[in-house]
Amino acid sequence: MLAIDARDVTKTFRSGWLRRRETHALRGVSLAVPRGAIWGLLGPNGAGKTTLLSILATLLTPDGGSVTVLGHDVLREATALRHRLNMASGRPSFLWSLRVDEIIAFYGRLYGLHGAALRRRVDQLVALCELVPFRRVQYSELSTGLKQRVALAKSLVNDPELLFLDEPTLGLDPDVSGRVRQHIARLRREQGITIVLTTHYMREAEELCDEIAFIKAGQILARGTPGELKRQIRLGEVIALKLDPATVAWLAEAPGVLRCAEADGWVECTVDEAEKRLPELLRALHADGVVVRNVRVSEPDLEEVFVELAK
Amino acid sequence: MSWRSELLAVWAVAVRNALMASRNVFFFFELLFWPIVGVVSIGLMTRFLGLTSQQASFVLIGTIALSVVNVCQLEVAYAVLLDVWSKSVKHQFLAPIGIRHLTVGSWLVGIVRGSAIFVLLAALGWWAFGFEVLAPGFPAVGVFLLGCFLTAWIVGVAVCALITLFGNRAEAFAWSSVNLVLVLAGIYYPISVLPDSVAAIAAAIPLTYFLDAYRAHFGFVSEFRTPIATGLALSALYAALAHWAFFAAIQRARRTGLLLKMSE
Repeated sequence: MLAIDARDVTKTFRSGWLRRRETHALRGVSLAVPRGAIWGLLGPNGAGKTTLLSILATLLTPDGGSVTVLGHDVLREATALRHRLNMASGRPSFLWSLRVDEIIAFYGRLYGLHGAALRRRVDQLVALCELVPFRRVQYSELSTGLKQRVALAKSLVNDPELLFLDEPTLGLDPDVSGRVRQHIARLRREQGITIVLTTHYMREAEELCDEIAFIKAGQILARGTPGELKRQIRLGEVIALKLDPATVAWLAEAPGVLRCAEADGWVECTVDEAEKRLPELLRALHADGVVVRNVRVSEPDLEEVFVELAK
Repeated sequence: MSWRSELLAVWAVAVRNALMASRNVFFFFELLFWPIVGVVSIGLMTRFLGLTSQQASFVLIGTIALSVVNVCQLEVAYAVLLDVWSKSVKHQFLAPIGIRHLTVGSWLVGIVRGSAIFVLLAALGWWAFGFEVLAPGFPAVGVFLLGCFLTAWIVGVAVCALITLFGNRAEAFAWSSVNLVLVLAGIYYPISVLPDSVAAIAAAIPLTYFLDAYRAHFGFVSEFRTPIATGLALSALYAALAHWAFFAAIQRARRTGLLLKMSE
């Protein structure tokens, strides 16, 4: 069952009164996100990630295409849909004079909570997001990390079935980022929330996401699991060998070897599939009388996939 | 939406505005300083000019009405302005609420603040200048205040629409729009002194009628046959128009992306 079913979504921003400028933010984006998944949207700045997320969250209207979220059409049934989703973004901002619990309570009331149920929900979220010591502190006095946690608490106030996280760990210390990631993983694990997140941090995407779409210039260039993405763009895996003699001329021509390079006494062979090619190479080297002193196999990380796709 | 959800959303906005107001010294400044300065300076001017008590009451009613309208309409404009200033616009419009909740919730706080201003200025007017603002009786005062609050609601919602249409560049409207009412609605003079074309515009402003009706209790001849009914009818018309304009501005902001830009 799909949480999001978007087809051929287009969005163009127009600006300027005298000289009209057009920015094509989305050019026919289609995506299908299954319920209960953590789904990542990666891409360079200005790729269209936030635009797409905002359309899915009913904050922006698409120019073309169809978007169904949790079974609701985003244009015709936006109000019903808003009850069931929520959003938190990096660089969060809320009313500066309100205290942490007042912010959560304000949004809770907007979603129909009141009385004891509202108080209980505020207590739960303050505890969940580790905000207990700060619940009576005004928003303007909080650190960036605490503000981010307030944003996360606010985004959970209506018990959403679908949560959009727009760069949720932007600007956070590594330890705080780690805790936010743990929260996100726990939300899916314990509450079955479907989560769509945009991020610049490849490690975050690799750690959290079941599936990733890479978006650039308003188009999805690639999608799949992190492993599939790496395979799709044929970055290959690296087999590093310490040999005696140190170089072997025919290695670069061996089947499945995409390229070879020497670095610090190691011969690094990029291959299409390490699991298949390593035994073949070892057999061939042995047959050629070459002594293999050490072997190291490494997969490319998502960072490399990102760099490759962003070119 | 159920009635309970409707009331809760209105209450949420009212509580938010009240909390924000209670924590900002400038809100108190807005509430007390300018209205008091207005009544004291205008009152002293009426003395200097040697106006009769009837003429002084004419001017002071206008001054008090202007202060009440100003404070209340600013509060309605805060429905959007607070979120524009705090860059949290998108969170508000991500929630399943309508613009009626925003404007009515803010208006309720505006009514409380406007009523407080009215009582304060009435007391000040009586103590400093012997002006008995409550002399026409509570029903007349109630209708007069209703007129002020309806005008404030309309101006405030129109300001919200303009801000949502043009972004925070348009926030100056929040402070300047009431001055248009000052010039046109006969705050310090009867609209009969205005040139015909301007008087026609003045006749389209609901506050003009409510001022006229209230001043009639102080012995001034009414310029209109049924000022209260006309004022209420015009208010209903403008309220609907302002609401539609705000709704259309929100739809446009969702289309152009301004809703997101105001959150960055």
